[in-house]
Amino acid sequence: MAEFLAQTLNGLTLAGVIFLVSSGFTLIFGIMRVTNLSHGAVYLLGGYIGYSVIAATHSFFYGLIAGALSMALFGLLLERTLITWLGRSEMSELLATLGLIYVLDDVALAIWGGTPLTINLPGDLGRSSTLPLAGIVYPNGRLFILGVSVIIAIGLYYLLRRTRVGAIIRAGVDDREMVGALGINVRLVFALVFTLGTLLAGFAGVLGGTVLGLYTGADSDILLFALAVVIVGGLGSYEGAILGSIVIGLVDNYGTAYFPAVAYSALFIPVILVLLIKPQGLLGKPST
Amino acid sequence: MGAGAVSPAGPGRPGGKLAGLTLVTLERSRPLIGPAAGVAAAVILFLLLQGNGFTSTLVVDMLVYAIAAMALDFLGGYTGLISLGQAGILGVGAYGVAIAEVHLFTPWAAVGISLAVVLALGLVLGIVAVRVKGVSFVIITLALGQVLWGLAFQWVGLSEGDNGISVATLPTLGPIDLNDALTLRMTVLLVFWVVALLLVLLVHSPFGLSLRGVRSNEARLAALGYRTGLHRYLAWVITVFFTGVAGVLYVFVNQLISPSTMDFSANGLFVIMVVLGGLRSIWGPALGAAVIVLFQQELSIYVTRWQTLMGLTLIAVMLLRPGGFWGLVRAAGRHRDALIARLRMRRSAGPAAGPSRPAAGPAGQPQAGRAASGTIKPGETR
Repeated sequence: MAEFLAQTLNGLTLAGVIFLVSSGFTLIFGIMRVTNLSHGAVYLLGGYIGYSVIAATHSFFYGLIAGALSMALFGLLLERTLITWLGRSEMSELLATLGLIYVLDDVALAIWGGTPLTINLPGDLGRSSTLPLAGIVYPNGRLFILGVSVIIAIGLYYLLRRTRVGAIIRAGVDDREMVGALGINVRLVFALVFTLGTLLAGFAGVLGGTVLGLYTGADSDILLFALAVVIVGGLGSYEGAILGSIVIGLVDNYGTAYFPAVAYSALFIPVILVLLIKPQGLLGKPST
Repeated sequence: MGAGAVSPAGPGRPGGKLAGLTLVTLERSRPLIGPAAGVAAAVILFLLLQGNGFTSTLVVDMLVYAIAAMALDFLGGYTGLISLGQAGILGVGAYGVAIAEVHLFTPWAAVGISLAVVLALGLVLGIVAVRVKGVSFVIITLALGQVLWGLAFQWVGLSEGDNGISVATLPTLGPIDLNDALTLRMTVLLVFWVVALLLVLLVHSPFGLSLRGVRSNEARLAALGYRTGLHRYLAWVITVFFTGVAGVLYVFVNQLISPSTMDFSANGLFVIMVVLGGLRSIWGPALGAAVIVLFQQELSIYVTRWQTLMGLTLIAVMLLRPGGFWGLVRAAGRHRDALIARLRMRRSAGPAAGPSRPAAGPAGQPQAGRAASGTIKPGETR
């Protein structure tokens, strides 16, 4: 039972990292109809930059901020250049960001090499403690990741549901043209959402680097998680990203713990079930 | 195809005779260029595959990848369903043979088992995959490709994990022994041409035409009574099957299949081959496969950061030339047709109207020429 509880907590930690990546991915798709396949590479790059900053400053929190801000800047540049130049063609954007994956991966390989790296958590975060009710020993770092993800999830929910900016973003997801017609600067909203999405991915990269590690291929691993999340939860739906992350995080972790031979493929079970029953995702809207 | 290089004889009279000669040459050569290029390619490939050296190994690899790239173009270009799980399907074809041989099936039985598994996989997965289109289809096939890679990587009992499985014995049919390197290379070449011609035939068949209709306006086709879902399903199954065939050849040529053949990067490479070569052309993606394999296997020795170069090339193609290599060939063909039309126009205008006409706007002339002759179809050259 203690083992099962620990595995559940592991699954939820993973879900937290996956959520940070997939919420950005799904928001960008939802409002801009841009499928940014390089979102996983942004995650990895953010993690690597965080690693280097931590190595230089010996401060985990500077690393976290550096990973997030550098990727936010990168996202802003990407949106203002490539995405704008390609001009709203869904498939060309998808293919161009596929090309970008190879560039970013190669650059990361050139700078940080092929040896897997792990980010160490500072002080008490690097230790373990006994959980009060269950009586199991569990790493503080994972609880920290879980807590941060939950806080960000609530914060984003508040932003989207309770603020004017959020209302504009949600309106943009429903009907871009109408929002533009109402005199709202849609281009500004696009840039904002894209930047927010890559900021979250870079942030997740530093957090994920502590428990999942940074290595060549980590980007496609996290991208698969994010894609599975948006298929299950519904492409473009924020609440879907939360629900999907929990499902995928738990399924993957139980799979790794109890069925190691097919863990990676176990992800496909919820994906297939959702596709058969509700192809637009659990909380997605039917595509027009 | 060389046509663009011939400059029009200009408005002056001295070029009149030259212009007439150019016109005749262009008109005569027009229907011959395609077949001639095909024959030339066949002869060159045949000759390149004779030797036992590095070149023939490289060309055989190109052909295997080209088969899968052409199959992907059939689905992605003509039906609009771009699959990012192509390397995974190829891997299933290859692992099918390897695993069957590990379990002591004869090589031919292994090929049969592998193709049956691929076909079954296509039939079953198609039910799920074809339920969605566009971006969602890309995402689902990407997930599928990653899952297949995950099975190959993690299911060590079946796939022997990261080490992969080697295949030592290849099938023999009477005097044709695939264990002989030259025979194997010729077989790959033959399969390449058969698959290419089958795909070209399919594309130009009524089925292929309705696939294009599904891509450009599915709702209208459905309203006309076409079962568009079934069309997409069949196109998917055809593509999966031919990709499986490429997988079988892959494992014969390399005598080894390991998970790295079907990782994310490999899945993306197939899409890059097709897009770089030119969607909706069948031949373009074969060219794209040749270029990418050349880069991957040879130029990567000299260009350390070739992946950056390849990624940037794909981005540049998307920004500047979405038609890819084959788009350039098509553009050359259009230039040639415009030139023919212009020359015809000048001839039919005759000496009477001669001096004044050539000054007319170039945009108007080709169309007038086409209308007069009525034989040249605008746009498509092949």
